[in-house]
Amino acid sequence: MPDKTFSLRLYRWLVKLYPAGFREDYAQLLERQFRDELDESSGAVSLGILWIRLLRDLAISVPLQFSREVAQDAKHTFRLWARRPWQIGFATLALAIGIGANTGVFSVVNALLLRSLPFRDPERLAYLSLDFQPPHDSARQFHDWRRESAYLADAAVFEQFDVNLGGAGEWRRVHAIQASWNFFSVLGTQPVLGRAFAPGEDVDGTGWGPPGRNAVAVIGYGFWQDLFGGDPKALGATLRLDGNPLTIIGVAPPGFDYPGKAVIWKPAAFSGGNNGWETVARLKPGISWSQARAAFTTEVNRLWPNRTQLQKLQYPSALTELRNELAGPARRGSLALMACAGLALLIACTNVANLLMARTADRAAEFSIRSALGASRARLSQQLLTECMLLSLAACTVGVLVALWTTSIAAKLQPAALASQAYSLLDGRVLGFAIAASVLSGLLFGVLPSLAAGRVPTVGSHASSNTRSSRLTSDTLVAAQVMLTIMLLTASISVGRAFAHLMHIDRGFDRSGLATVNVSLEGTTHQTDASRLSYFEEALARVRRLPGIQTASATEFLPLYADAFIGGRFRVNGRLAAKASMVNPVLPDYFRAMGGHILWGRELTDAEVRNNARVAIINERFASEFGAPANAVGSEFVNDDEHWKIIGVVTTMDYMTEGADSYEAFVPDRSPGSFFSTFVVRVNGRAEDRLAMIRDTIQSVDRDVPVFGVKSMEQRLADLLARPDFYRTAVLCFTAFALLLVVMGVYGIVSYTVARRTREMGIRLALGTTPERLRARHLWQGLVPIAGGAIPGIAGAVLSSRLLESIVEGAESVNAATYAACVLFIAFVAALGIWLATRPIARLEILEILRTE
Amino acid sequence: MYRFVLDMTTRHQSAAEDLAPLPPVIFHILLSLGMGERHGYALKREISLRTGGKLKPGPGALYGSIGKMLELGLIEESDARPDPHLDDERRRYYRITPYGRKVAQAEAARMRELVQLAAARFGVLKHA
Repeated sequence: MPDKTFSLRLYRWLVKLYPAGFREDYAQLLERQFRDELDESSGAVSLGILWIRLLRDLAISVPLQFSREVAQDAKHTFRLWARRPWQIGFATLALAIGIGANTGVFSVVNALLLRSLPFRDPERLAYLSLDFQPPHDSARQFHDWRRESAYLADAAVFEQFDVNLGGAGEWRRVHAIQASWNFFSVLGTQPVLGRAFAPGEDVDGTGWGPPGRNAVAVIGYGFWQDLFGGDPKALGATLRLDGNPLTIIGVAPPGFDYPGKAVIWKPAAFSGGNNGWETVARLKPGISWSQARAAFTTEVNRLWPNRTQLQKLQYPSALTELRNELAGPARRGSLALMACAGLALLIACTNVANLLMARTADRAAEFSIRSALGASRARLSQQLLTECMLLSLAACTVGVLVALWTTSIAAKLQPAALASQAYSLLDGRVLGFAIAASVLSGLLFGVLPSLAAGRVPTVGSHASSNTRSSRLTSDTLVAAQVMLTIMLLTASISVGRAFAHLMHIDRGFDRSGLATVNVSLEGTTHQTDASRLSYFEEALARVRRLPGIQTASATEFLPLYADAFIGGRFRVNGRLAAKASMVNPVLPDYFRAMGGHILWGRELTDAEVRNNARVAIINERFASEFGAPANAVGSEFVNDDEHWKIIGVVTTMDYMTEGADSYEAFVPDRSPGSFFSTFVVRVNGRAEDRLAMIRDTIQSVDRDVPVFGVKSMEQRLADLLARPDFYRTAVLCFTAFALLLVVMGVYGIVSYTVARRTREMGIRLALGTTPERLRARHLWQGLVPIAGGAIPGIAGAVLSSRLLESIVEGAESVNAATYAACVLFIAFVAALGIWLATRPIARLEILEILRTE
Repeated sequence: MYRFVLDMTTRHQSAAEDLAPLPPVIFHILLSLGMGERHGYALKREISLRTGGKLKPGPGALYGSIGKMLELGLIEESDARPDPHLDDERRRYYRITPYGRKVAQAEAARMRELVQLAAARFGVLKHA
């Protein structure tokens, strides 16, 4: 009967699903009964019925037996924990921090990389880099291009602005978008109220264009709530953007603020000269990403056939997934952080594994008795595994609390593009990860003790812990920890140095005691060229009269703030400069206010600004291209038919975060308030203390002028460096945690060994050894695994530092001396742990020990 | 290990009534063992016969119940083999313990009370 043989074999295999204890007791009997039932059944139908009944029986009895055995094991585990609360408390805490940090970092990764965007089919949305400009001389040209595309189902262009918004309460500064009419349909988003743009509502023109068909706007949901209290009557209301009226036609759905925290969207005005367009597109159905990329490259080469290799490098055109584009630089950083958190969890796991192994050895007597009474290796392993799983579940619970805290820190660092997507621990994926992390770590450190349990001898009790192999295993675990810790330690040194470098880099200005305030005159009564300067002069005069103010000035482009510049390639004394220079219109006393240094020549005067004198101050780097910088003063500086006379040379200010390499020219600002206008005020003492006073004073000149960006220069720098700072802090925390674990691990193992070998040491002492010699012996033995972990640790650190260099700005591999210092430091810390653990040796009473024998 | 032994004894001491109501399979096993020693498959066949095929415990349910009954001390394993020639030594025989008898009696008493209550409320069917 071949099918009966098969049935029997299948049933035998299914019986393995039962837990170990039940299987040991009843596997043979179950099989016997199955055989009997098999013999009774004849024909395919009755065999089928038999199997249906059996499967139902298995489905009910397997979980039942499991729950019974797990409940038994759990009860046993809790009794054991109650006996050693400290040991278990430490293990839980170590794992909880490991799991919590991982869950926290994962929730960031989840929000950045995995969570779906609030768009329809976001995985089919592409972003075409800013360096690619689709044909856009007119609306028609653009729409023809997108309709004819062979690989894009649809595409929309948009441009981002910060504008002054009026017409609804007081003036404010908002992020606004002008976009081709199909912007919302490409993303697959519909307004919750009113309508999106209609075909033909985008027009030809420049900038915001004249009021016309495109003088309509969709506003953000939060903005609608804030401004109109969620009143549907908002539809039809008029807003003024930089003075231009717009009629509200729709309200975007909650949470939609793409791109970059936008609160208002209007139809575009196309013009050939504008090259600020960004493109978002949806791939044609059936087109893969690699096909789309190839088609895009072909198209770029067709549209710009004469691009040189250099231009291709300088302006790379790329088609990327919108999701990756939004995650931006945070993507790789988060993944690196994830790796660090993973390492920390791994260290925590090895540590707990070691601890449990020691416990297992400790419990050799118990296991021997149980196995003598018939418990199999599988049954004992199951018991240990249950203990580990319970431990990791307890750790998971505490870990979620830690994660709540870590996510709240991480949430502060989300990129603006994703601002609407609040981090939430209640996300199923995050919770799933916490559970997976805890179960996986449970398995990881459950396996080793189980293997050790497998080796527990059935007779005798004390031998196992002293066997060479168990010593080897625990040494290997310590070595592994040391290896991982070295990797973390060098990474934290590298990231820490990079951050310190960023913080202390000479940016060419003095950031302490410097207050900055932005204003924008667009759409206000000071909009005309004639009244711009008088507004600024009045504001500066009032600020300068305030107590504690050294001086004040204003600039169109502030370092660390402006994200666009004006400039060009200039001639000095008839010679064309090697590269383009930025041109920054400023008001008098700018360099004194910024704390910059005029090296030769002088600052601009009030008269020069008022008369729009053709004078300029250039930076040292620019001046040095044409001989000695001092000689540049008095030279002529030409662009097309405009001439400026160089009246001064200053140290380079770090405008474009490319250090001392940029060319800069400063000219009198006759019509301030046109670009990223910022008041800069040098104060006595802390800039933060005077910010409110300065803001109120500037506001007092004209309440209708939006005043924003009220920050000290140090705050601006801190904002800029928030992400590197977070990485540094996180890596430092992980490292400190890893070091603590290494110390506790080493301490635990050594003190355990000392406790077990009291008798042997008593004999040695009786034979004439001194306690110091015994302690030194332990020290050397304890340092062996440290040395063993150091070599692969350095190798791993060298490899990981390469990765780190590409992720963290300014991170550099540490040198050999630093590696050596790291290893010595860990060895020193470990030695301290060992020395403390061997303290009991000094207190050993020989007679006491020998008497007990 | 000492604790484990202590647990066994405490279980024995729990009153027979405390286990009521018994799961049907356990009560049927006790009923069958009341007539003498049985092995697992014989128990299954008897239960099936007695209930007209309505209760047919599969191997997992049967030995799960047997395991629990052994643990509770309701039954015990028997070394006796009625006929070594007829029987496979892999079969295991079980017999009821005095405690098991008490529990079965308590369960029957509980049922009788229920039956009497039902009869008082609804009357008794003549040809049930």
